[in-house]
Amino acid sequence: MHVEYPKPRWSDKFLLLDMLEGLKTTFRELFKPKVTIRYPEERLEPANRFRGMFKFSFDRCIACKLCALACPIDIIYIDVHDEQREVDGKMRKLKVLDRYDIDVKRCMFCSLCEEACPTKPKSIWLTTKTYELATYDRNDLYFNMQQLEYWEGRPEYAGLPADESDTKQIEGGTA
Amino acid sequence: MTQDLLMRYLIWPLVKFLVAFIIVQVIVAAMNWVERRLLGLMQARLGPNRVGKEFGIPWGLAQIIADPIKFILKEDIVPSSSEKVAYFLGPMLPLIPAFLVFCLIPYGPPPHFVVTHVNVGLLLILALTSTGVYGIILGGWASNNKYSLMGGLRSAAQMVSYEVPFGLSIVGVLMLCGSFDLVHIINYQASHIWNLFPQLIAAFIFLVAMNAENNRTPFDLPEAESELVAGYHTEYSAMKFAFFMLAEYSSMIVNCCLMVSLFFGGWTLAINGYGLTTGVLRSWGWTGGILGALIFISKVMLFMLMYIWFRATFPRFRFDQLMDLGWKWMIPLALANIAVTGIVVLLGQQFNFQGEVVLSIAGAAIIAFTLYLLLRPRAKVIHARRVSEA
Repeated sequence: MHVEYPKPRWSDKFLLLDMLEGLKTTFRELFKPKVTIRYPEERLEPANRFRGMFKFSFDRCIACKLCALACPIDIIYIDVHDEQREVDGKMRKLKVLDRYDIDVKRCMFCSLCEEACPTKPKSIWLTTKTYELATYDRNDLYFNMQQLEYWEGRPEYAGLPADESDTKQIEGGTA
Repeated sequence: MTQDLLMRYLIWPLVKFLVAFIIVQVIVAAMNWVERRLLGLMQARLGPNRVGKEFGIPWGLAQIIADPIKFILKEDIVPSSSEKVAYFLGPMLPLIPAFLVFCLIPYGPPPHFVVTHVNVGLLLILALTSTGVYGIILGGWASNNKYSLMGGLRSAAQMVSYEVPFGLSIVGVLMLCGSFDLVHIINYQASHIWNLFPQLIAAFIFLVAMNAENNRTPFDLPEAESELVAGYHTEYSAMKFAFFMLAEYSSMIVNCCLMVSLFFGGWTLAINGYGLTTGVLRSWGWTGGILGALIFISKVMLFMLMYIWFRATFPRFRFDQLMDLGWKWMIPLALANIAVTGIVVLLGQQFNFQGEVVLSIAGAAIIAFTLYLLLRPRAKVIHARRVSEA
């Protein structure tokens, strides 16, 4: 950057004008809006593609266990049993989820489970706006299926805006 | 008769001193919060705004009470290798002159708002405030810590250097007013003009020397955090540290009081005898007295805010720069100011014109010119481009 400033005159130096200019600057700063956010009272909303807490959908899940396989630290626990059910007039064998637990206290939020999920839309995803995950008891961070699906008082996933969902599809298209 | 004398010379001044003392201590406690808050606001943040929220006290004002409580409750750690007596005396010594001076400062119109009317009050105040440095040196040395010692040494050198321009800058005022009595100086300003105008250079030197005397930024070398941990009070904790702080802020208030009394008309708001002069305030009785005291205190508080404003603006001087400024600029400037003031006043007496009017016009012209240069609209940045594009 090449910046040319006005040349100081003799009178400017004699009257300590640069020091007074500094005082003027700080005085102006006094009335400018501050950048501080008083956290518990004021909260910033994360961006739409913020990677936050898990959310799970029982209805979309096909119990394929791919997310558990993809998880690098094996913290997704899935139990499944087979069930004979009538679908379109025929009896078919279906997998039914018994257990879908995530041990979030060990999770590193890499979202590989989300990438591995074959359903469209994803039945497990991390692009939620919840980030206040601290608890007083470490066992509170062990979430089961119901807790992952039905949140109480947590901000809901607002959905991606139109222009960003396109890129999302390209990125996650193969998954 | 004895009772009368006792009342007049002991009890009544004591009561007045206590009232002034308590008000000043409250201001000192509040200044801690004001300083942190204002500094924060000038640095694009908020400063302390939490304490007292549970009790419904807004803006973190309970910090004023919380800080002293914390100081009292903290453990008082004494380094095992320190010189015990000197270590103990260190925080006490600067406190005594800083408190004593408050009975020499006139806060309002004479009969009731002046604690002791001493006709060499100004000399006495100067003598007392300059003894404050002993405690700092003693404390720094007794801590048995190289940082403390360095801080103490720097403080001594700095205070001795700036004592000279501090004293010399007052001489011009004394030549105009012809008295060491602060009440007389204030009355003189009410009947003529604030000494700021005829003694503009002296006021500037006084302002700089006042900052240096109190070890405030940009002259806070004795406690330079980035070089000396905390300077002379590195080893002090709890109430002893609080005493150092108390002494520093008290002497800041003292110097602000001196600044207001010497250059900004004290408790009066008058030019050439018109306005709120001492006579007018006295004719209103107690109301006038309290009004005068309020004017005085608000002027003092403005200068206290100025200290914080300087702290938020200026970076610290290097030590050789500090000495250069003190000995090569401030002292010659102060001497030149004395010479010019003396010559103009004497010429005025010789050729029958009022010397201080000439000086006032010159001072006002300099102020007006500076303000014009400072506030004129200017092109912000003439030119901003990448070198590679050229």
